[in-house]
Amino acid sequence: MNRRTVLAATALAPFAGSLGLRDAAAQARFANMNMFIPAGPGGGWDGLGRAIEQVARHAGLVGNFQFENVGGAGGIVGLPRFVSQRRGRGDALMVSGSIMVGAVLSNRSPVSLANVTPIARMTQEVGVVVVPAQSDIQDIAGLLAAFRANPGGTSVAGGSAGGTDHITLGLILRALGRNAREGSYVAFAGGGPAQAAILGAQVKAGISGYSEFAEQIRAGRMRALATTGATRSDPNIPTLKESGVDVVIANWRGVFGAPGINANQKAALTSFITDLVALPAWREMMETRGWDNAFLAGAEFERFLAADISATESVLKELGLA
Amino acid sequence: MTSRLSWPDLVAGLVVLGFGLIGFWQASVIPVSPLYAQVGPKAIPYVVAAGLTALGIGLTISALRGGWSHENPEMAEAGPLNRRAMGLLLAGLLVNLVLIVPAGFSIAASAQFVLVAAAFGSRSMLRDLLIALPLTLLVWFLFVQGLGVNIGAGLLESFILRLMGQEPV
Amino acid sequence: MNAIDGLSLGFSHAFSLGNLGWALLGCFLGTAVGVLPGIGPALTIALLLPITYQVSATGAFILFCGVFYGAMYGGSTTSILLNTPGESGSIITALEGAKMARNGRAGPALATSAVGSFVAGVVGTLGIAFLGPVVVDFALVLGPAEYFSLMLLCFVTVSAVLGGSPLRGLTSLFFGLSLGLVGIDLQTGQPRMTFGLPELFDGVNVVLVAVALFAVAEALHMAWNHVDGKVQVLPVGRLWLSRTDLKRSFWPWIRGAGLGFPFGVMPAGGTEMPTMLSYYAEKKLVAPEYAHEFGTTGAIEGVAGPEAANNAAAAGILVPMLTLGLPTSATAAIMLSAFQSYGIQPGPLLFQTQADLVWTLIASLFIANVMLVVLNLPLVGLWVKILKIPTPQLYAGILVFATIGTYGISNSVTDLLLLYGIGIIGMFMRRFDFPVAPVIIGMILGPMAEQALRQAMTISEGDWTTFVTRPGSLIILILAALALFGPRLYALATRRRRTAATASVDS
Repeated sequence: MNRRTVLAATALAPFAGSLGLRDAAAQARFANMNMFIPAGPGGGWDGLGRAIEQVARHAGLVGNFQFENVGGAGGIVGLPRFVSQRRGRGDALMVSGSIMVGAVLSNRSPVSLANVTPIARMTQEVGVVVVPAQSDIQDIAGLLAAFRANPGGTSVAGGSAGGTDHITLGLILRALGRNAREGSYVAFAGGGPAQAAILGAQVKAGISGYSEFAEQIRAGRMRALATTGATRSDPNIPTLKESGVDVVIANWRGVFGAPGINANQKAALTSFITDLVALPAWREMMETRGWDNAFLAGAEFERFLAADISATESVLKELGLA
Repeated sequence: MTSRLSWPDLVAGLVVLGFGLIGFWQASVIPVSPLYAQVGPKAIPYVVAAGLTALGIGLTISALRGGWSHENPEMAEAGPLNRRAMGLLLAGLLVNLVLIVPAGFSIAASAQFVLVAAAFGSRSMLRDLLIALPLTLLVWFLFVQGLGVNIGAGLLESFILRLMGQEPV
Repeated sequence: MNAIDGLSLGFSHAFSLGNLGWALLGCFLGTAVGVLPGIGPALTIALLLPITYQVSATGAFILFCGVFYGAMYGGSTTSILLNTPGESGSIITALEGAKMARNGRAGPALATSAVGSFVAGVVGTLGIAFLGPVVVDFALVLGPAEYFSLMLLCFVTVSAVLGGSPLRGLTSLFFGLSLGLVGIDLQTGQPRMTFGLPELFDGVNVVLVAVALFAVAEALHMAWNHVDGKVQVLPVGRLWLSRTDLKRSFWPWIRGAGLGFPFGVMPAGGTEMPTMLSYYAEKKLVAPEYAHEFGTTGAIEGVAGPEAANNAAAAGILVPMLTLGLPTSATAAIMLSAFQSYGIQPGPLLFQTQADLVWTLIASLFIANVMLVVLNLPLVGLWVKILKIPTPQLYAGILVFATIGTYGISNSVTDLLLLYGIGIIGMFMRRFDFPVAPVIIGMILGPMAEQALRQAMTISEGDWTTFVTRPGSLIILILAALALFGPRLYALATRRRRTAATASVDS
């Protein structure tokens, strides 16, 4: 198969991808792929990047992967490097997600996700609102009443200020007609200390990614009140939306292409990811890692991204962070 | 105790004072956060800056009263500044900073090794280079191939990778 | 299943040839990465994660535990020999350890840290097996208010390293506090002391500062008054502990291990605080005839205690991970994600649902400990040979080594600039007799104390009395006051009693 037919096939792939895998997918689309991770090794973005490598190489979609990790400040240290060094290169991908959306806004970074080419959203994790098992609050209505009455006295633990957990609290308070900055948010450096503070009932409630708290909920040490997805993640836990609070938010991760790539190059990257996601091996990977498939590509992903950025911006503005 | 002012100590005191003032400046430019926070982001930076400034004033006064460093055995035993050694060592650090991105890790670190060894009186630059190059290359390969941590292939690393029939990063 | 049954089950699994092989490989890798500054066990395990696709869960975790314990052993080696700490937990070890090495006692320093690590590892692992669930329930009672008080207690330890002049010692402390403030504020997300540079948003790495102040500054200082042509070779004395060394090390090992384990168990504890407290305790408790060695020729108690504390705390960190599924350190977080890639959910039920795995893991911690001490003691002889390298190549090597650790991980020239810049500041600090240890203590404790303070204040809605109305916090504050004023009051009391006694004799 020569190069031109690969291009022709890949250009059509976004439309053909949903119809299932074709034999052509078994051919290596890229001899070499530069995977840029704007975070240190070992984190969530690195995990997604290396999962893509694992599946794509095994399936023969890509011959070889080159990784580059440049961490710092929610990805905005690495982002300018990706933008300047990979401009116009069709064989480069960068992993990114909600955290960078927030980091770009709150740090007023001159380089933003508008400077790179959106390819696809791949995974997401919904958040969960919990209270300690020994808390008086029994359900989400109880917590919302507490927020309405006295947000300052209802301390909520979560990750660093301005992150997804904090934005979730801000959106809830806004939906209740209060101001996001009225919340009594206690930021912790990592999942461990935040969980410890909730388990020990040092705070009234906690918000974080569902997987962070899942085991504590299962063991009955925390009571899950609501999840933040559009639909229920656990049949027994209501969503915020059905509880009358119009908040849908998730911590998503996806991939972006280099700036200045042409339509063919963009289509090739999109079809590569589309076909990768359709592989059984990818589904298996998602299952073992406990990730939720949130695949979204093309114009839909671009619309989602724009909406996510404006929602994040509105909360961060109210918090005084953007 | 002498009451003559000690110039070096005065400079040290003023530098600390300067750090304190920089601290005040940086504390003052922290964006005012409207967040509900009992103790805001500026409180502790101001406390630390105030402490450093006060200590700087204390040291300055101490220097004006004769200083302290003449009592320091490290200073008393110390010979005069060895300009050659210091110059070579600082050059070693600088060369590394300048070369590490354009030329790559092995070349930059080897240049640093040779200059620093020369600073401490090594006679044979060639021998040092022959120690440094394999050592730094080994480290580079351990990082890149062993740990999978990409620290960027420079000129030398790319050349060796090509010899091994691999595509450089 | 009780702990004894569990352990015997664990050992029966761990003693297979394959599992012993994984333990050995882990110990070896761990020692190697522990030696490199900047590359800690967390990163190494992160990079080894892909093996979870090929290796059984038991094998992988035995490997990871070997890396974890091995890194703790390795971290002290470079602290002692090259004054270049590999991890934040071994920074305090460098204070006395490097001084001992410079005075021809590198062998005993390395030996006491290896044996101390072993003692602490055994104590800590016994703690995991027998006390784990009890201790962790207790640790959950501690909230931000208690942590703030605990850090105030740790600040007392600064007095042990202030040196001759409180004015200069406090200046060093405040310099460290300023460095600790750099970065984005956790509670409000605002950048502080960053001069607008995104590279500084994540703060300044404490290991980088320690390497700069200890190793880079020393090289610069040596160059300042280097006499050309003079070849200086460091003396290397005996390799093993003498009877006196052993006697002097024994109680510090036990005290260090006893201090370290509970701090490791605390969700916001960590390995640094107990090393500081141990150093303080040993400096206060040392026999009068050896007191002068502290800060001059290097006191073996100051190596034995902190090193034991570091390793016991490292073991303690595994307790909240195994019993509650709480990752309280970067390493634990990575191990947790490894559990998840096997579809195992670590949490309060792990001891029941994965008894085999958990007990095999604990058993292999014992095995790793034995392997490490067997691996490390003969290595002492080899390690001290590093000091035989002629000065030019030794210092050149140390600088290259510091550069690798810094640049290799961050890929950032900014970090190198910081390393060299702070090294130059460190050289001047030495010439002007400013102690460097308070910088490190300020840098570690400052941010932790500030965050705990502000978390506590947010929870209490601005009520400052929270620190004295919560009983746990009050008790710790009283301890801190005792630690600060106790020795002085005691000295005063004995003096008064003595004068009273002489007075009564006179009358």
